[in-house]
Amino acid sequence: MKRESAFAYFFVLPALALFIVFRLIPLGAGSIFSFSDWNGIEPPRWNGLDNYIELLGDPVFQATMLNTLKVLITLPVWVGLPLLLAIFIYLEVPGARVYRAAYFFPIVLSSIIIGTMFSIILRYDGTLNQFTGLVGIPGIDWLGDGRYALLAVILVAIWAHFGMSVLIFLSGLTTIPPEIIEAARIDGANLGQIIGRVIIPMLRPTIELVVVMTTITILTSMFGLIYVMTGGGPGTATYMPEFVIWLMQGQFSRLGYASAMSVALFVVVAVVGIIQIRLMRSQWSR
Amino acid sequence: MRSLLSATERRLMWVASAIMMVLALTTIYPILFTFSTSLKSTKDFIRHGFSIPTAPTFEKYLSAWSTIKIGEYFLNSAIVTVIGVGLVLAVSSLAGFALAQLQFRFRQAIFYLLLTGLIIPVQVIMVPLFQVVVELHLLNSRIGLGVVYGAFFSPFGIYLMTSYYSTLPAELIEAAKVDGASLWQIYRKIMLPLGRPALITLGILTTLSCWNDVLISLLVLQHDRTLMVGIAALRGEFGADIPLIASCVVIGAAPVIAVYLIFQRKILGGIIVGSVKG
Repeated sequence: MKRESAFAYFFVLPALALFIVFRLIPLGAGSIFSFSDWNGIEPPRWNGLDNYIELLGDPVFQATMLNTLKVLITLPVWVGLPLLLAIFIYLEVPGARVYRAAYFFPIVLSSIIIGTMFSIILRYDGTLNQFTGLVGIPGIDWLGDGRYALLAVILVAIWAHFGMSVLIFLSGLTTIPPEIIEAARIDGANLGQIIGRVIIPMLRPTIELVVVMTTITILTSMFGLIYVMTGGGPGTATYMPEFVIWLMQGQFSRLGYASAMSVALFVVVAVVGIIQIRLMRSQWSR
Repeated sequence: MRSLLSATERRLMWVASAIMMVLALTTIYPILFTFSTSLKSTKDFIRHGFSIPTAPTFEKYLSAWSTIKIGEYFLNSAIVTVIGVGLVLAVSSLAGFALAQLQFRFRQAIFYLLLTGLIIPVQVIMVPLFQVVVELHLLNSRIGLGVVYGAFFSPFGIYLMTSYYSTLPAELIEAAKVDGASLWQIYRKIMLPLGRPALITLGILTTLSCWNDVLISLLVLQHDRTLMVGIAALRGEFGADIPLIASCVVIGAAPVIAVYLIFQRKILGGIIVGSVKG
């Protein structure tokens, strides 16, 4: 028994080592560096809460937060669209199988592939404007005009992620017994009532889960699209938290300041993440 | 289900179907468009932007190979993906076996500690992570990038393998021990073969994660490029040559699309396990 437990540690050791070296130590070190002024070459100079104070007054950070907020406002579309699609697939709309296969397709594509494809389509002399030009609609500089760039990134991000949500909703829908819907039917419920009063309430835990997962996606998985589609621009129009952290570290060598931003982002993500784990657990134990 | 609907509702379903078809076309169109563009010459693209290629040519694929070093990027991506996936499979099966089937102190604590990896995204630790990579001399090393992938994608694997191995009966191991097998033999001869279905799912999902990554790759490889970083750089370097960019996108997406078409069930199933339970 004693030898067995020694051996067991040997089995978990690689996992623990990778976790500690590449996640735990960086997380700890990051929070410490966030209290310093550091360019990565000279030793860090401790400056207390300066970074955090600067953060609050920094117009770039404020623009980033505002952008994040704008994206979060579109959350109902990120969740509602796949929800409806999944429900209609579940209700066996004509062509459901084909549609489902099509919707799942973007799941496996990288944000770089997706972003590059859409850059070709959305650029000012790109395919979309050529197309709308044919019917006389003036072109829009989707990626180069500050009024539209964030919207374009949001639409592409929804394109990239909605299949994943459809998939999760469909797996949630399989837990609804068909008898319940048949019973509602016999009681005289129409299609709208079945969707609104039976299916959506029963799907609530899954909806909560998708809301949380989508929030985390918005906070941490927009980098690739922004990097390849707009480079954060024009100006700060498409700055999102992770992109700015990357910028502060790599381009401006402001490591202490970037760390402070990271800590702020981590706190938000961790809170959302803990909610997610709770939801998963309730889902799991059902 | 459909038989239960009234005539009006059935018509409504057809309307919904039409809308959903438009969405499905929107999903497929960019991929087909990119593929068709990649087969055009620059002139053909400028003249006929949306039509199918008038004279399909592989010329852009050849110049992707010769002028952009796309082959080298491809090889880099393949190397880091193989290392990352190998590491994730090894680490997750070892830890999953121990956490699910062996008794030792702090077992629960270690399990939950490793799971917190799932809520520490790379984005929030990239500054100090970079320092760690530099300290360990992993910067600009493809092996280094593979190792970092192994570290980042293993918490999900550990979760998956632990839950998979906990479904195996404890008697299995007891019986093997009675027969005098060592823990290492049990791992090699029983756990690895039995874990195959889960390991295949994990391997495929991790392959996608490594192949598609760009942020970690930008951080660790600052001289070499993986395929995704190389493709991302094209817009600035070859921005005017759309068919060339399109051909590189096709090269980058083709392996992933092939994997998806072959392993669709495993991929979708694995994602569901990952989202609902871990």
